[in-house]
Amino acid sequence: MTATLPETATDVVLSVRDLVVEITVPRREPIRPVRGVSFDVRSGRRLGIVGESGSGKSLTALSLMRLLPPRARIAAGHVLLRGNDLAPVSEREMARVRGGQISTVYQDPMSSLNPLMTVGRQITEAIAAHEGVGRREARERAIQVLGDVGLPQPARRIDDHPHQFSGGMRQRVMIAMAICTNPDVLIADEPTTALDVTTQARIMEMLGRIVEERRMGVILITHDLGLASSFCDDIHVMYAGRIVESGTGAAVLSTPAHPYSEALLDSICGLDRDVERPIAAISGQPPLPHQLPSGCPFHPRCAYAQEVCTVDPPPAVAVREQVAECHFPVEAGTA
Amino acid sequence: MSTVVPTVPVESATRTDSVIRRLLRRPSGALSAAVVLLLVIATVGAPLFAPYAPTTLDFAHLFAPPSRDHLFGTDELGRDLLTRILYGGRTSITLGFAATALAMGLGILWGFTAALREGWFGEILMRAADTLMAIPAILLGLVLVAAFGTSTLSMVVILGIIFTPATARIARSSLLSELRSDYYLAAVSVGASGRRIVARELLPNALPVLVARASLVLAEVIFVEASLSFIGLGIQPPDTSWGTLLQQGYTNLYSSYTYALFPGFVILVAVLALNVLGDNLQKVLDPSQS
Amino acid sequence: MLRYVLRRLVTSFALLILGSMVVFLLMRVIPGDPTITKLGGSIKEVDKSTLEGIRAELGLDKSIPAQYVDWVSGILHGDFGASYFSQFSVTSLVEQRYGATLLLAFMSMIIGILIAVPASVAGAIWPNRILGGLLSGFAAVGIAIPTFVIGIGLIIVLGVELEWLPTQGYVSFQADPVQSVKSTLLPAITLGIGVAAATMRILRPSLFDVGSSSFVRTAKGKGLLRRQVVVRHELPNASIPAITAAGIIVAHLVGGAVIIEYVFARPGLGSLLVDSVYQRDYGVLQALVLLAVAVFIVTSLIVDVLLGFIDPRLRTKAVT
Repeated sequence: MTATLPETATDVVLSVRDLVVEITVPRREPIRPVRGVSFDVRSGRRLGIVGESGSGKSLTALSLMRLLPPRARIAAGHVLLRGNDLAPVSEREMARVRGGQISTVYQDPMSSLNPLMTVGRQITEAIAAHEGVGRREARERAIQVLGDVGLPQPARRIDDHPHQFSGGMRQRVMIAMAICTNPDVLIADEPTTALDVTTQARIMEMLGRIVEERRMGVILITHDLGLASSFCDDIHVMYAGRIVESGTGAAVLSTPAHPYSEALLDSICGLDRDVERPIAAISGQPPLPHQLPSGCPFHPRCAYAQEVCTVDPPPAVAVREQVAECHFPVEAGTA
Repeated sequence: MSTVVPTVPVESATRTDSVIRRLLRRPSGALSAAVVLLLVIATVGAPLFAPYAPTTLDFAHLFAPPSRDHLFGTDELGRDLLTRILYGGRTSITLGFAATALAMGLGILWGFTAALREGWFGEILMRAADTLMAIPAILLGLVLVAAFGTSTLSMVVILGIIFTPATARIARSSLLSELRSDYYLAAVSVGASGRRIVARELLPNALPVLVARASLVLAEVIFVEASLSFIGLGIQPPDTSWGTLLQQGYTNLYSSYTYALFPGFVILVAVLALNVLGDNLQKVLDPSQS
Repeated sequence: MLRYVLRRLVTSFALLILGSMVVFLLMRVIPGDPTITKLGGSIKEVDKSTLEGIRAELGLDKSIPAQYVDWVSGILHGDFGASYFSQFSVTSLVEQRYGATLLLAFMSMIIGILIAVPASVAGAIWPNRILGGLLSGFAAVGIAIPTFVIGIGLIIVLGVELEWLPTQGYVSFQADPVQSVKSTLLPAITLGIGVAAATMRILRPSLFDVGSSSFVRTAKGKGLLRRQVVVRHELPNASIPAITAAGIIVAHLVGGAVIIEYVFARPGLGSLLVDSVYQRDYGVLQALVLLAVAVFIVTSLIVDVLLGFIDPRLRTKAVT
């Protein structure tokens, strides 16, 4: 059913198959912000899911831990953790998965930490939830892991409250909290969006080192194609609830196959880009999930759109090393 | 001049219309509105609906339990309790309306002045309102009773004064939000005078919010009136209100439970219905809810 | 933290002085001549010299600032002045009465919190419509129902029919602690229901809001159980607005106590207040209103210190 190669199949820790997320709207048809998404996470490899806000990437991440907001639900598809479907699992067992086997680092380190609790307590709480360790041992582990994420003087700062840390340090605390139980999969949902660029670089470098040492599978959710391609082995580009292009980071970055990926790349202003080409913002707005365009959802904003794009949903086609859902994938050399 | 001032009353009329429709669409809103309406009609029209005259004595049936002849039973003089509750409600509700009207009038004056006079004067007015609001209504009521006595007129004044500061606060904030609106700027830009704008434009627009507030004030007025009358420092016999009925029922608790039970129940229903109605009105009027 | 508390103490003291001035002026402004009370009759039949004598005795012949200074310096020495009606001093009247009210307030606060907090937490742990509706209904009725109606209902059921608890009077705590608590139980339950309703009306929406915040998602993401998330993360954060609004709850308590002491024939400060209004005893009335003001100022002081303990952000802000 999938393109998973037999020799790497054992590496797959998390598989998502045809995931559909539905949000109920009072007195209206439910909307589907995620419409059939499939991917695999392998241990030790980093997967980037890239898209604009509203593309469904964050809802995809939340549904992996079954932490969707109240009116959203997984309407179809499967999330398989080491081959076991998480859908029928009880809430109590799911709690063991959360933080134990799958952890998430959230976007905003300001509001993602409990302001009334010391950071040490918030970390030991995560350890205690999954391992039967004593108070003192949990505390030592917390100091250890705070040191691992690069927090200076962890033994002294463990009893401080979140508001006493800078944004970057708070995000390190968040990462410490996520990795303290050595999960199989780490989801990083826009981990550096709220931070300045130099802090961002340092945090990503530290995160890379940690997942390398601990051989975690990583899902990096971001709107920043540049960040994703420099950090990740593989890239999935999401648009209007579907993965429209997938391939290795290098391939997507150098020769994007989907016009949307190409447009995303063009909108990045990098030092190494061709100065002759204009910086192009993608025209128009991403579609709202309750009024998707017919055919290919990208066609109203696509430079290459033709008649067929407005009628038929595009097929998934293999282009070079990538797979793209497009009627007219971008040829090599034009990008 | 008046021809060029942007006309708002039309818009405000349609707004009121849709407010009522949206209120009735909410189950609790429709139910509470119906109960309030029923109570007002039944008590104000007490002479029409009461099964007996309030002075009909029946010494053969003192403290009678509820029966077909006396739905709520009778009191210590054999008077029909339902009749007495309807007539007592007349006092409670008319007094309530009068005190609410007074509180709304004074409060609007106070709040609007504070809103229009920015700077230290408006600031002092609001600080004073906040301070008075911190005093529990019953406590303030008792002090005012010591000052003004317990005649029906003083009760109206006392209850009106108690709830003026809270109304002032609401009136001020609703006027301030109107002052930021486009049509106000439009009216000012064509040179309409301040007083005229307040009377013709701002008041009608702030009115729905104040009506919602009035419903909650009326609930509290009835509550406090009943409390004061219950401890004998409100309406004085031979005048009757729900509070005095409850007080008499309480004194005769060992002769008849129902005597205290029914007035208490009616007060509860009235206060609850007015509270729920006010809450619903506020929700319907709050733009963030629609 | 210590500096934070000290600074709040200074503010509270200033507020208390301001409050005493307001109360004093209020009592001068309101109509009614206190000397009439003292004489127990009409002012016309009294000759001028008697009147002057009484005025001098009560210190009413001095200027208003001088009267205020007299009053305040008396209070600082524990003397709240003379009752215009009874032979006792205000201080001794308050001393006789405060026990019944204090125990009632304390017990109803405890009962109210013991109802409100577990009920709100249960509502947050099991977010189903029936439970939520029941809790909202309880809060709405508990706010709207006059305390004396609950009181009368409880007297009928628990006191008269079942004869479980005494319905009238009060045994002082020093004399017999068990009987004292027992005689306070029924009024305390009555008031506690109102306290619980007032608390729940603030705590439940606040719990609901906190439930959708990011740090709660983080807590769930750690693998905590629903119960742990609510108790450790949601409740402390949600309690901040509830504690901030404690003044409203205390106002409910004070207003309720006045009525409740009447219903249950308790010799407390509330019934003393009612008596003083009946008798136009301005000396007692003035002292009791000042006491109420002091209660509110002390409440807000306690609230701020409590918030400082709960919220570390307040503590550090006070230090810098």
